[in-house]
Amino acid sequence: MAGKAGKQSRPRKAEKDEEEQPLQAVLVADSFNRRFFPISKDQPRALLPLANVSMIDYTLEFLTSTGVQETFVFCCWMSSKIKEHLQKSKWCRPTSPNVVHVITSDLYRSLGDVLRDVDAKALVRSDFLLVYGDVVSNIDVSQALQEHKQRRKMEKNVSVMTMIFKESPPGHKTRCEDDDIIVAMDGKSKRILHYQRAQALKKLHFPMNIFHSGSDEFEIRFDLLDCHISICSPQVAELFTDNFDYQTKNDFVRGLLVNEEILGNQIHMHVTRDGYGARVSNLLMYDTVSSDMIRRWIYPITPEANFADQEGQSCTHSRHNVYREPGVSLGHGSQMEENVLIGRNTVIGANCTISNTVIGANCVIGDNVTLDRAYIWNRVHIANDVKVKQSVICDNVEVKHGVVLNEQCVLAYNVVVGPDITLQEGTVLSMHHPDEEDDEDEDEFLSDDDVGYSKDKTKQKGSCSSYFIMLFQNEVHGTLQRGLDENISCDNLVLEINSLKYAYNISLKEVMQILIRVVLEFPFQQQGAQISTAQYSSHLLPLLKKWAPVFKNYVKRPQDQMDCLASMEEVFLERETHWAALVKVLMSVYQLEILEEEGIMRWFKQSSTTGKSQQLRRNQGLLKFIQWLEEAEESSEGDE
Amino acid sequence: MPGADKETELSERIEAFLSELKRCGSGAGSLRGSAETARETTSLLRRITAQARWSNAGDLMEIIRKEGRRMTAGQPSETTVGNMVRRVLKIIREEYARSRGSTEEADQQESLHKLLTSGGSSEDNFRQHFTHLKANVIEAINELLTELEGTTDNISMQALEHIHSNEVIMTIGRSRTVEAFLKDAARKRKFHVIVAECAPFCQGHEMATSLSKEDIETTVIPDAAIFAVMSRVNKVIIGTQTVLANGGLRAVNGTHTLALAAKHHSTPLIVCAPMFKLSPQFPNEEDTFHKFVSPHEVLPFTEGEILSKVNAHCPVFDYVPPELITLFISNIGGNAPSYIYRLMSELYHPEDHEL
Repeated sequence: MAGKAGKQSRPRKAEKDEEEQPLQAVLVADSFNRRFFPISKDQPRALLPLANVSMIDYTLEFLTSTGVQETFVFCCWMSSKIKEHLQKSKWCRPTSPNVVHVITSDLYRSLGDVLRDVDAKALVRSDFLLVYGDVVSNIDVSQALQEHKQRRKMEKNVSVMTMIFKESPPGHKTRCEDDDIIVAMDGKSKRILHYQRAQALKKLHFPMNIFHSGSDEFEIRFDLLDCHISICSPQVAELFTDNFDYQTKNDFVRGLLVNEEILGNQIHMHVTRDGYGARVSNLLMYDTVSSDMIRRWIYPITPEANFADQEGQSCTHSRHNVYREPGVSLGHGSQMEENVLIGRNTVIGANCTISNTVIGANCVIGDNVTLDRAYIWNRVHIANDVKVKQSVICDNVEVKHGVVLNEQCVLAYNVVVGPDITLQEGTVLSMHHPDEEDDEDEDEFLSDDDVGYSKDKTKQKGSCSSYFIMLFQNEVHGTLQRGLDENISCDNLVLEINSLKYAYNISLKEVMQILIRVVLEFPFQQQGAQISTAQYSSHLLPLLKKWAPVFKNYVKRPQDQMDCLASMEEVFLERETHWAALVKVLMSVYQLEILEEEGIMRWFKQSSTTGKSQQLRRNQGLLKFIQWLEEAEESSEGDE
Repeated sequence: MPGADKETELSERIEAFLSELKRCGSGAGSLRGSAETARETTSLLRRITAQARWSNAGDLMEIIRKEGRRMTAGQPSETTVGNMVRRVLKIIREEYARSRGSTEEADQQESLHKLLTSGGSSEDNFRQHFTHLKANVIEAINELLTELEGTTDNISMQALEHIHSNEVIMTIGRSRTVEAFLKDAARKRKFHVIVAECAPFCQGHEMATSLSKEDIETTVIPDAAIFAVMSRVNKVIIGTQTVLANGGLRAVNGTHTLALAAKHHSTPLIVCAPMFKLSPQFPNEEDTFHKFVSPHEVLPFTEGEILSKVNAHCPVFDYVPPELITLFISNIGGNAPSYIYRLMSELYHPEDHEL
């Protein structure tokens, strides 16, 4: 693992030195989102097969063929599998021109964390390429790299990043709808002036100041496909460290463009017309990129090239883009119509019709099977009379006879689908229980694809010392106090609390619990511990109302609500005299829509362990509240 | 250990060469011409001979065959690689035979007479060890390299015999051999050249620019106009990527059209091809014959909607049957297509046809 010293942030040395530096790349092998769940529960996304080759191999091939000599692969989810795969692959052989270092950590939660780590470890010495592990491309970036270096030489270090886009008209199937962007750029210098996610918006706003930048050629472009390949200067890593709230590339780009006057950093772009670059960010893109690969749009990366140098993987390319690996056996009357890739040792029965399909190795397919736009991975057994349309079938699945899979179905690993079943469009079958997700899942992941909100998941960090918690609690109290005195808006409060979270290394769940506690104890702090219930409620309720947005920021999932209620319970258990206030608090919290009926009901029905909490649940006021809640629920359901 | 270093260095070079082959060229013209590929293959084979560990000719042949198979699998349409491997194998056989002192059999092919008189199996396992074999083989490979360097000049020297003044010559696409051929003739004669542009890669344009720099009158025509213009043409001179074992050609796409048009007008079709392009393959190998590149040149990616409904293919090569060809001009002189089989037997040993 490289930890090379001598970070070269400013080219104080002669420029000749910079030019001789080997080209480096940072490959982020984790997408920090859940688009491929439940498939990626068993196998990390970077190792999923696209045309029978793992996706990370395509990215590494792209990097190597464009001249990268040192790559740092960052993994988080299932990093051991990725590491094992890379070590067996041709990239880690001593003869490989590209030296691959694998860096793993469980603490990465977003692209921002990875780049902060890059900065902390001083891994990059000069301009580097930043890609994700699921990028498939044949673009030659040397020209873009040349332009980038030229720009940085002309105006010392003003241009921080060059993004690579591909020209492709709106509605093109290789454009991922979630990733659609509108870019306002300066036509001459190719500088990005405004960058925005389209997200199916009907109206777009452009700030006027971008048109005052002194050039006279502006272009507003909607015909760009983001290849997710960027040429970054070492400043990018530093900028991520300085602004720890930059989590995703989107944040970074917008932040830089907004702060342009202050910091003076610019982002440029390079549009390629001839190369191909796309990122497999969801299953629709998987379909599209697979079919582009089979139709040879990504030449010279083609199935029969066997660029990953795997034994026995070489296939022959026949007319109509039919690829067959060795050992394939085709039954009598079966037709491989067009755009088909069949893996090795696969046996196909009689009278099958196969088109636009990728089949993995060692599959057994029965008779009279119709496969159209199906993606079948390894060791799958398909019995007779099955129809599959535009679906993904993962490893080791057994499909019994008579099954019909309609469009956009997914059968995850090891699933068995019984005889004579028809699956509706969009069905996902998996061995993993859907609720399992909530429990196993740990911290929040932040990625560009989670448009709008970030998923909060909480994790118990056992080794947090209570000293920090005390400090944190005091700080939060101080913050809220100041918020009250100076009338600070809730967004700023959230920001402050977040920064405290990082400063004291508190987990999200604990933040929420401590917040609840602090708020509930606020009146006691203000007015002493002896106030009556009525005074307490009258002081507390307006505070709850005021800080409702702050709570809503932290309480999102059912699990969070349970934790919140548990924390409330804890506070009130300590102050038996004020149980009457609990009802009012719950009512107010319910009306402010911080908590929901189901959450409260679930908490109430939970069998409690201590005598005190059982007693709490038998409190008259609380019982009445619960009863009212149930009736309210029924009436609202009755209305529907 | 110096030995291990050499071996890793050797395998590094082989790997680098293989990846170059695989990635080379997203277009009809390989980024490097066939001559460079041939030269690099031969130097690599020389290096293998010098640095690999072998004690007798059989071992060396095994090593070279193995590496050769890997290299040809990397890019099956680049036949010069396989050709050079076979030439080197033939060199090894000859040197071995010479070292053993057995009479050089001029005719390696099976003839009835040989079958009758040979008696026992003439198979020798190439297992005998000779100390000077390595040096001899390397020297012979050096001679091969010199020959490779001189091929274009040898062909160009024959230009004056074939091109006369005030002739109209047609060619297609861009061939370095034909370019040198025409430029050499232009020094002494005045003639016109018509270049078919050869869509979709349009390399004819570069050819025309290059020829016009030498003050040759050049015209560029689209491929569709070939037949129309053919009546005015005296000769057709083309280059090719490979010469197949039956005398046919694997040339850039559009050449078959040109050849048919020439046949119809009884215009002689002359192919300028150096000997290293001669391959023992026959044209019926469906899977390795062709090279399809990205359909981007045919139907651009920006067409959007149509792409999902339509299949676009972009083949690089064409097959021209031997009946349409009049003459082959190579570095050893002019030959008829029906004589190709003979030339092949001189260059390659029959057992090496399948690597």
